Amino acid sequence: MGGKLLEIKDLHIHYVLEEETVYAVNGLNFSLEKGESIGIVGETGAGKTTTALAIMGLIPDPPGRIIRGSIMFEGQDVTKMSEAQLRNLRGNKISMVFQDPMTALNPVLSVGDQIEEVILLHNDVSRVEAREKAIEMLEMVGIPCERHLDYPHQFSGGMRQRVVIAMALACNPNLLIADEPTTALDVTIQAQVLELMQRLRKEHGTAMIMITHDLGIVAKICDKVAIVYAGEIVELGSKKDIFTDMKHPYTVGLFNSIPDIESDSKELHVIEGAMPDPSHLPEGCKFYPRCPDRTDVCKTGRVPTYELTPGHIVSCVKFDTGGSKCLNC
Amino acid sequence: MSGEKEHMTEGARSKRQRFVIWHRFKKNKQAVVGLVVLCIFILIAVFADRIAPYWYDDQNPSRALMHPSGEFIFGTDNLGRDVLSRLIYGSRYSLMIGFFAVGISVVFGTILGVIAGYYQKLDNIIMRTMDLFMAIPQILLAICIVTALGSGLFNLMLAVGLSSTPQFARVVRASVLSTKEQEFVEAARAIGANDARIIISHILPNSLAPLIVQATLAMARAIISASALSFLGFGIQPPEPEWGALLAAGRRFIRTHSYLTVVPGLAIMAVVYSLNVVGDGLRDALDPRLKR
Repeated sequence: MGGKLLEIKDLHIHYVLEEETVYAVNGLNFSLEKGESIGIVGETGAGKTTTALAIMGLIPDPPGRIIRGSIMFEGQDVTKMSEAQLRNLRGNKISMVFQDPMTALNPVLSVGDQIEEVILLHNDVSRVEAREKAIEMLEMVGIPCERHLDYPHQFSGGMRQRVVIAMALACNPNLLIADEPTTALDVTIQAQVLELMQRLRKEHGTAMIMITHDLGIVAKICDKVAIVYAGEIVELGSKKDIFTDMKHPYTVGLFNSIPDIESDSKELHVIEGAMPDPSHLPEGCKFYPRCPDRTDVCKTGRVPTYELTPGHIVSCVKFDTGGSKCLNC
Repeated sequence: MSGEKEHMTEGARSKRQRFVIWHRFKKNKQAVVGLVVLCIFILIAVFADRIAPYWYDDQNPSRALMHPSGEFIFGTDNLGRDVLSRLIYGSRYSLMIGFFAVGISVVFGTILGVIAGYYQKLDNIIMRTMDLFMAIPQILLAICIVTALGSGLFNLMLAVGLSSTPQFARVVRASVLSTKEQEFVEAARAIGANDARIIISHILPNSLAPLIVQATLAMARAIISASALSFLGFGIQPPEPEWGALLAAGRRFIRTHSYLTVVPGLAIMAVVYSLNVVGDGLRDALDPRLKR
């Protein structure tokens, strides 16, 4: 490992619309080592996908705007790159697996053509060589080579996602962003696809950002976990930190919401309320209205962030024990 | 379709693709009939001088306005010219105008439509200009163009083509607007494709279906517009036989010699109808999403 691959500092992304401003990402910080994998977990609208798009420089502008912060990838700031530099990055150094394999593939091009396209865009090879490589990629993800001439509609959902993964890994990227890659798939296929991603990632030493709202997936394949709420990371730590020693009330709530197959309780545990509208965020702690442990201190002012143990970071006043280091006070 | 296990070469691949399209097209019986009719008309146009029993301008007052008979299958007109021969030679003009006029509008319309649809900033400028042209009745616009450029076959095609360009721009733009929001376009951007590539290999092929249908319909309309212009004296000049001109010339005798209008009318209808069904069939066959 060694050396930071990706370092996001104080990232703010707003969608500036005519009537209102949507505060999608508000001061996000995290970093990723080479070959490491991080799971970004959060509810719909928490800013997970926006973060992913920002890393690729794909925030639609207008209306999206990176207000502040930096995204350092291999020592260069993605937010300051030119379009040409970004194009060279996308698909080559950073690639993305989209949520829905049904719509992420072009219906009028054969899958072989589509994988070939990535290879041709980033490598100085002939079409024949690119085609060979594309077929090799297909076989690597477990699709028989003679199917490279077939069109996306001739594949099942799981196989399409494999094609998308083959496309994403064709140029051997350093970072793979997976935006809920298994949400559209059924459970058995989900397991297969995850295993495949994990295996290929290990083989190639690719770092990964796994965006999901499924803690089971995180438990299975991530080294680190970031819990995102309303555009902020409320808790960040190693998988062990988060799964066995969760601190933030929101994280605790999330884990409590996982139904226990052995308990007899009739009602499922939920976190009361709903996530605040990202265009009207509450002042102070954004989780305040739903927090079971809220105090008047939370209502206003900046939420302190503490590093409890090395790498385990929590944003909540509760942990102001004096002993732990405050990162933003 | 995935039965073949052998590794396919590029040639075999495009061959197979064409076969698949033809196979799908073949299932639509109407479209096949339309294609056959169209092919017959094209052959007639190409070999007009061999097929036609008379020269199209063979005038003979002594046999003027003769009803259809064995000698003159579709009768003769007021100058004693064989209607069948005029019809056969006329197919050259009508088909050529249809194809080339539509070709012109497809090319210009697609370019303008794609730019307007893809680049939000240019959208308003291009489309408002198109609206301006659409506000002028198409036939008037065509008349203006022909008047400015002078009459003649090429100018007629240009006039008809340019006057229907706004419609194509509109159809293409609408189609591009919906296609560009699709996730695979974002995926293409995420693999580092530039605008030109995204437009040419991802957006255009997915926006073609409405264009093909529009083109076949427009071809039919172009034939009719050209006929109208010829009728008004802006298009093909007499004695050149053009179907619309034949129709117009026969109009005076519609009560007594209805075949003079019915026959060219039927010819126009047959071509127009064939174009429509072929367009429909093509759209279905070219779209790999439509599984049967």
